[in-house]
Amino acid sequence: MSARSYEFDRPRGLEARAPPESRGLARDEVRFLVTDDGGSTHHRFRELPDLLAPGDLLVVNASATLPASLPVRGDAGEFLLNVSTQYGDAVWLAEPRFGVGSPGPVPLDPAAPLSSGAVQFHPIGPFPGIERLWFFRADGSVPAAMTERGRPIRYGYVDEAYPLAAYQTVFSRVPGSAEMPSAGRPFSARVLDALRDRGVGVAEVLLHTGVSSLESEAGGAELPPVYPEPFDVPRETAERIRATREARHRVIAVGTTVLRALETAWDGCRVAPRSGFTRLVLGPGRPVRSVDGLVTGFHDPRTSHLALLFGLAGEERVRTAYSEAVERRYLWHEFGDSHLLWRPGAG
Amino acid sequence: MTVPSPEPGPVRRTAVLTGASRGLGRVVAGLLAGEGYDLIVVAREPAPLAELAQHARRFGGEVVEVVGDVSDRRTRNEVRARTGRWGGLDLLVNNASELGPSPLPPLLQLSMDSLDRVFRVNVAAPLALVQELAPALARRRGLVVNVSSDAARGGYPGWGAYGASKAALDLVSLTLAHELEAAGIAVVAVDPGDMRTAMHQAAYPGQDISDRPLPDVTLPFWAWLLGRPHAEVTGQRYLAQSDHWGAGR
Repeated sequence: MSARSYEFDRPRGLEARAPPESRGLARDEVRFLVTDDGGSTHHRFRELPDLLAPGDLLVVNASATLPASLPVRGDAGEFLLNVSTQYGDAVWLAEPRFGVGSPGPVPLDPAAPLSSGAVQFHPIGPFPGIERLWFFRADGSVPAAMTERGRPIRYGYVDEAYPLAAYQTVFSRVPGSAEMPSAGRPFSARVLDALRDRGVGVAEVLLHTGVSSLESEAGGAELPPVYPEPFDVPRETAERIRATREARHRVIAVGTTVLRALETAWDGCRVAPRSGFTRLVLGPGRPVRSVDGLVTGFHDPRTSHLALLFGLAGEERVRTAYSEAVERRYLWHEFGDSHLLWRPGAG
Repeated sequence: MTVPSPEPGPVRRTAVLTGASRGLGRVVAGLLAGEGYDLIVVAREPAPLAELAQHARRFGGEVVEVVGDVSDRRTRNEVRARTGRWGGLDLLVNNASELGPSPLPPLLQLSMDSLDRVFRVNVAAPLALVQELAPALARRRGLVVNVSSDAARGGYPGWGAYGASKAALDLVSLTLAHELEAAGIAVVAVDPGDMRTAMHQAAYPGQDISDRPLPDVTLPFWAWLLGRPHAEVTGQRYLAQSDHWGAGR
């Protein structure tokens, strides 16, 4: 499907420019749109436990955010290298950018490595179909460079630099994501307590996110290709999902990352334990089978994320919900508001 | 006066790649050079091989050209002799393949000479290279990658000889994976999927194949595969363009 199929009108100014905490809200006090068979209703996120039923299972991403944006020096001067995904011991996919608000492409030459402190990044070549992303061979420890010099990846719509803690969720346990798996951000200790009291389960998967380079995604006639990301659906989680569905309770993915992991682990009739790298693209041509609902943020027009929502709940339901979200001025992006989208018949 | 002994440099990884000058081989060669491998690249035509080698040298490693046909013993002898200077071999990619006559004939019209040639290049030569390079591969606990095809499983009209040879190569790969486990050599088969290459064009002469992706579509897969622990991947048959790459547990 062409990118135009995923167009909608989102006025400027609906990006969350700062974490809710700096807007005087607790994390779980962001707004919460709930879309089911009856339409959409408006809530605060901390009401989530009351909106679920005993026996329901939330599946969350335990990946923690890395300080993946490194200052580098190269022939093109001083700029940023946003490190996306580790492929092997020394091979990384990364996005060179002129700055937080200025994407590349930064000209690169295989003979001219970039240096960040003690680490040298040797350009190998661009990712096929995504010119802004390059493979690099790193000489030196990239995790150490991140610890010493890295900042959380940030784009131009976020007003200032926030500490790494602002980019972690209560589920962050295993470092590995270039960007926060942000659907988990509104969860808080008191929400988790209330979920437990309500009899709602929480199970983990891992998917280490790569860079999203949001401003570059919307542009071409086709949706951009996706690049592979590492994931792990452990046996225990696959087992709990199976038990939940057998008991006719509902499974809710917290984030598109979780949904991608679960759909990659779908063996034709159930979620199986599986790990590796996924390049699965979900959408109307590859509908969602593993879950009944999705907690997620609000996604931009012309993106693969929006295609995924269409694949879960159908285009009409998503478009109606998004019109309402725009009208009521819900906030977009990683520090924004939250959305629970049920697939037809589930909510 | 003591003479300081020369500091041994870091051990560089080494690879042999056949069918290196065009299509998929060219993509893999560029990645290996970029990842810092020293390379022996093999192809029949000197000019495109020299051009590929020149490109690969920009990454700073050693690139040795061997011009010849992999089904020719002399070519393989030269490859083995060239690897002798290295302490061992980390990677052998058997990519050189023979499609057969173009346009592809149905099996009833296939000459036995053509069938023989397809099997010599696609089955016997990769196996012979593994036999000859096994000692060097064992020294580095290396990886053998045999490039397969979906024709190995397809039964597509016209693709009988090529498909049968790749099916045979798949079984050679799986058997070698078991037989070489004790020697620490890993063996995988890789089906790169449909691609816009000279070989694919030869299979469909005069037809428009521009809907197929260029072979660089498989680059992320190779980057992934080369980054995996060998024990995790040996014996597997991978689809480079599939949605999921894993150990298949």
